[in-house]
Amino acid sequence: MHEFFKWSSKWWPGVIPLVMFWAVAAWTSTLPLETDLAARSTSALKDTVLDKRRIAVAGRDVTFAADAFSEDGRRSAVASVEAVPGVRLVNDETRLVPEAKPFVWSAERDVVRVTVGGNAPLPASKGRLLEAARAGLAGVEVVDQMNMSRGAPPRFENAALLLLDQIGKLKDGKVTISDNKVSLSGMARDLGGREAIAAALKNLPEGFSVAANEIKAPPYIFQAYKDPVAVTLTLTGYVPDNNVHAAVAAAAGRKFFSEKVVDNLKASVGAPSGFAGAVVPVLGALSRLSTGTLEVSDREVKLSGDALYDAAAAQIRAGLGKDFPQGWQFKADISVKPAAAPVDATVCQQLFSDLLAKGKIRFESGRGTIDPDSAGLLDRLVETALRCPTANIEIAGHTDADGEDAFNQTLSEKRAQAVTDYLVKAGLPANRFTAVGYGSSQPVASNDTDQGKAQNRRIDFVVR
Amino acid sequence: MVYLMTFHWSWLLASLLLGLAMGWIAVVHRGQGVPRRTSWWLAGLVAALVAVALARLIPGRPGYWLDLALLMFASYLFGCAVGSWLRAWALSRDAPA
Repeated sequence: MHEFFKWSSKWWPGVIPLVMFWAVAAWTSTLPLETDLAARSTSALKDTVLDKRRIAVAGRDVTFAADAFSEDGRRSAVASVEAVPGVRLVNDETRLVPEAKPFVWSAERDVVRVTVGGNAPLPASKGRLLEAARAGLAGVEVVDQMNMSRGAPPRFENAALLLLDQIGKLKDGKVTISDNKVSLSGMARDLGGREAIAAALKNLPEGFSVAANEIKAPPYIFQAYKDPVAVTLTLTGYVPDNNVHAAVAAAAGRKFFSEKVVDNLKASVGAPSGFAGAVVPVLGALSRLSTGTLEVSDREVKLSGDALYDAAAAQIRAGLGKDFPQGWQFKADISVKPAAAPVDATVCQQLFSDLLAKGKIRFESGRGTIDPDSAGLLDRLVETALRCPTANIEIAGHTDADGEDAFNQTLSEKRAQAVTDYLVKAGLPANRFTAVGYGSSQPVASNDTDQGKAQNRRIDFVVR
Repeated sequence: MVYLMTFHWSWLLASLLLGLAMGWIAVVHRGQGVPRRTSWWLAGLVAALVAVALARLIPGRPGYWLDLALLMFASYLFGCAVGSWLRAWALSRDAPA
């Protein structure tokens, strides 16, 4: 033993190269060791859900900072780093993800992008929400401004996914979840979008409720354009359903006796109430114009164009709107077409005959009341009568041979008189017109067929 | 510890070999040894450093360098002891012959 101490007292010279070894070892191994420990710590946390994870290694000491989503998760994350072989100390700078109260999440859409913001409960659910946004809104940029927070209500993700689905139906707007209240605002992309969103909100997960749904529908547009050059009536926009579509098309066909009706209407939900009740009469007003445009936007009706004579303009301005459904507004911008050049009596007769060949003045069945659908034709007749101010005109009423002669005679007189009254009301002097009834005594076609009878029921304008 | 040994086995082996060589020489070396008093002081210093390392008092890189130094020193001492013992055994076996 004594010898052993004697030997050991002579071991010291080797310490000099040992110190050199140590210096070189420390110099070369520190960085690789730190890199290795960082990699091992990172892989130890591979399956742990953390936000804002940061690992810094100095020597064998690991500084570990992260936001954890639960206290248990936080502790187990620190423990797994501590358990990494080679780690000497862990400087624990972890904390819990802040709790959001209220837990607010939102998605906002403008023209080119969707911004998803607010709080998300977990990185995975944040990823799923962004993925759903990108998938549901192809071609729209998705901007992520979500932060991690605790305190999400149960089934939050399902609710958020459902709302992201709805944002595709918006032109612009915002959907918000605040705890378990859902609010929406903005403008639907299509007609019916608002209704579709309202229907989808019924499927919100249990516990969620709609606090405010302020989605607006785009205006319900109906347009009609009367083109005197192409002799067409073009209908565009929307009608509530196929029944109204048929009614509008039929009314257009009756009221526009010479124009070809170009029907580009589409059926869509979201029409304001009383749509048909407002549109059909205003089409009648349009038929009285030489050229005109009708625009219906929600409950606002705008009619602009040229009336054929002064009195017609006044009648259209004053007459419409009175019998509109409640809540509808009527704006008329009616000017008067400049009077056409006067013509002599022969041309006048020709013009009357041409007009009456294209369309017939209609009356209520068996009565002497003019059907409002004939207003357009009558206005053309008035315009023509204004062009030959010196001519005296016989308004001749004719009926078919059905019924008793005396009744037909009276009916033809009443109808001729009704037309004369219309002309006089339009501002023409009463002394230029003679109303004569011929009953069924002057048929122009056989009274044996319905078609022939229809031809015989007529009003003729005869220039004397 | 195991991690450090596997990570630095080459340096520890070098220290061990250095110790073996030094121990082998020390038995027949005629030079001046460390005085007994000084050796006690040195032993106390090493014990203090071991205590500091075990208590993990020095943070970061210096702490790691201390651990590395002590491990290499331990390996060296072990080498010295084995080397000296082997040399003494070899000498005693040759002496009678």
